[in-house]
Amino acid sequence: MKGYAGKLLRVNLSNRKISKEEISDSVKRDFLGGRGLAVKLLWDEVRQADPLSEKNKLILATGPLTGQPIPNSGKMVIAAKSPLTGGYGDGNIGTMAAVHLKRAGYDAVVVEGKSASPCYLLIEDEKVAVVEAPDLWGKNTFEAHDLLEAKHGKNSGILLAGPAGENLVRISTVMSQKGRAGGRPGMGAVMGSKKLKAVVVKGSGKVQNFDDARVQELGKKGYAEIKAKESYDFWMKQGTMQAFDWANENACLPTFNYREGVFEFSKDMDGYVLEKLHVGRKGCPLCNMQCGHIVKDSSGADAELDYENVAMLGPNIGLGSLPQVAFLNRMADEWGLDTISLGSCIGFLMEASEKGLITDRVKWGDFEAAQRLVLEIGKGEGRGKLFSHGVKSASEAIGKGSKKWAMQVKGMEISAYNCHACPGMSLAFGTSPIGAHHKEAWIIAWEIANDRFSYDKAKVEKLIEFQRIRGGFFESATVCRFPWVEVNFGLDRYPEFLEAITGEKRSWEDLYRIGDRIYNLIRAFWVREVPSFGRPWDYPPDRWFEESQSTGKMKGVRVEREKYEQMLSWYYELRGWDQKGIPRKKTLEDSGLKDVARELQDTLG
Amino acid sequence: MVELKFFGYLADIAGARAREVSLDKPVRLREILPAFFPEANIIILVNQSAGDLESLIRDGDRVSILPVLSGG
Repeated sequence: MKGYAGKLLRVNLSNRKISKEEISDSVKRDFLGGRGLAVKLLWDEVRQADPLSEKNKLILATGPLTGQPIPNSGKMVIAAKSPLTGGYGDGNIGTMAAVHLKRAGYDAVVVEGKSASPCYLLIEDEKVAVVEAPDLWGKNTFEAHDLLEAKHGKNSGILLAGPAGENLVRISTVMSQKGRAGGRPGMGAVMGSKKLKAVVVKGSGKVQNFDDARVQELGKKGYAEIKAKESYDFWMKQGTMQAFDWANENACLPTFNYREGVFEFSKDMDGYVLEKLHVGRKGCPLCNMQCGHIVKDSSGADAELDYENVAMLGPNIGLGSLPQVAFLNRMADEWGLDTISLGSCIGFLMEASEKGLITDRVKWGDFEAAQRLVLEIGKGEGRGKLFSHGVKSASEAIGKGSKKWAMQVKGMEISAYNCHACPGMSLAFGTSPIGAHHKEAWIIAWEIANDRFSYDKAKVEKLIEFQRIRGGFFESATVCRFPWVEVNFGLDRYPEFLEAITGEKRSWEDLYRIGDRIYNLIRAFWVREVPSFGRPWDYPPDRWFEESQSTGKMKGVRVEREKYEQMLSWYYELRGWDQKGIPRKKTLEDSGLKDVARELQDTLG
Repeated sequence: MVELKFFGYLADIAGARAREVSLDKPVRLREILPAFFPEANIIILVNQSAGDLESLIRDGDRVSILPVLSGG
């Protein structure tokens, strides 16, 4: 099929065997690429594996839209069985490695086995090598990036595990370009477990498209359309940080470990403050609305900020200084730690300290203590040992009711929206297939615009529609969703891109079916791999059901448990899953997953 | 007095992040917004409840108008 690079590269780090395989057209049709391809590979090849053992596989996957001259296509998906959650894990990352990989002739890379010593994978078109890397091991992601760039040139795509990944810290991500991150569910630790410090890709070829002239024309029009949007100029000024006072206004800014939804120092660190501190911009390749804003951190070094890391390392830990937040954020990027999970861990620890559940005394907003915690968590030592597996595991160790305010779902920390008064978004976090993450179904704006207090079926239908588009299409195509969600770039452009690139005409209905197939397969993976998996895994923490914010406009509001149960039941019904959250045999068969239905039946007995 | 708050790019279009308007009688929201104000992909909250451009605004109301965005 046109638009794909054509090959899957398989590298076994145990025996250093390197092979190249075809990806069948039926797999491309059924799963598109990116996340779809990744979950297909993991379902077929990773069974009952310890996520940090040689049996787990790290998948790097692009899609048909990746690297194309169309808006915001410099993305790839990094997936594996998650060491943080035990289930399916993935994340997308904006990186030159995505563009280079397709140019080198590969749609995906499967890394298997485990190297005996630190190494990196070097892909230069046909030439693929596993290179020893004792000098890189232990280096932070900025230092390692510079060393690899000096060796292989600026025109290289580089993916890196930080020291946190090397130390098998479960909240570690994969980093690129000194600030781009992806793979929240511990993808950095999967690299670390394989002693794989980096992947360096240099591609010089060209992907054959169905109608190249049409792709060029559509891409040019698309970039121009984005630039002409009325919200474009403001987006360029604040990027995702425009969400900061948006969230504060709507009482959903995570504050003091999600206890509150408004922060008294919000005006000291919102998007307008960012504008004043802005010294530069960073972003992904092939993007004309780059979202990374560089500011000087409290030490004077450059640090890249966006909403999620500011909210989680700011209000969520009670810290009200943007340069100090930037400093913590840069530390996290250097160590390869996920800023969302890190902010959640630090906030949780501060609350545990306040409640006297741990012997340490760490006050809200204590910047010095937060720095020490980042180091300890990155090393997985001292107090960091308790938090290196995330807040779920930490709350299980601490006990004393702390599970109620360990802000996670399925073992992954909730991203930066407090949902005491957003039942639809609570359900979006509850049903996100990798653990709590906003990328799957950001329904919060829709529900606030319509009726944030309702629990009706229409809200659940809308949530599934968002999952189909965001978690299904964008993650598999594989392109950035920001043009659509942030500046209202038309969704109808994407089937046009796909047709010009692949030659196959697909409607949004067709793409929804692919999205549903992917969600069904991810769900099946969880059921097969996690013996206790089912309905209890789809709930947000008790804090949102049992407590309410003490100040602000949503004071006194909480998610009503019985009504959440009803929404969850509707969700299962609409997805064709039973009330335990297990995909029905017929649903899997209708999705074209007959073999999966059979294997799942065997698993369940 | 009616309190009008604008967020994101809508503040640029309105020329202010907040404005107060004095009303003698209830009017539709669109009548107190600048001409050519965006009509789609916006969130309108009148006293924290979902509203629209046709919502009747009375003295003492608090109106927030926000973009639909994604937050990263």
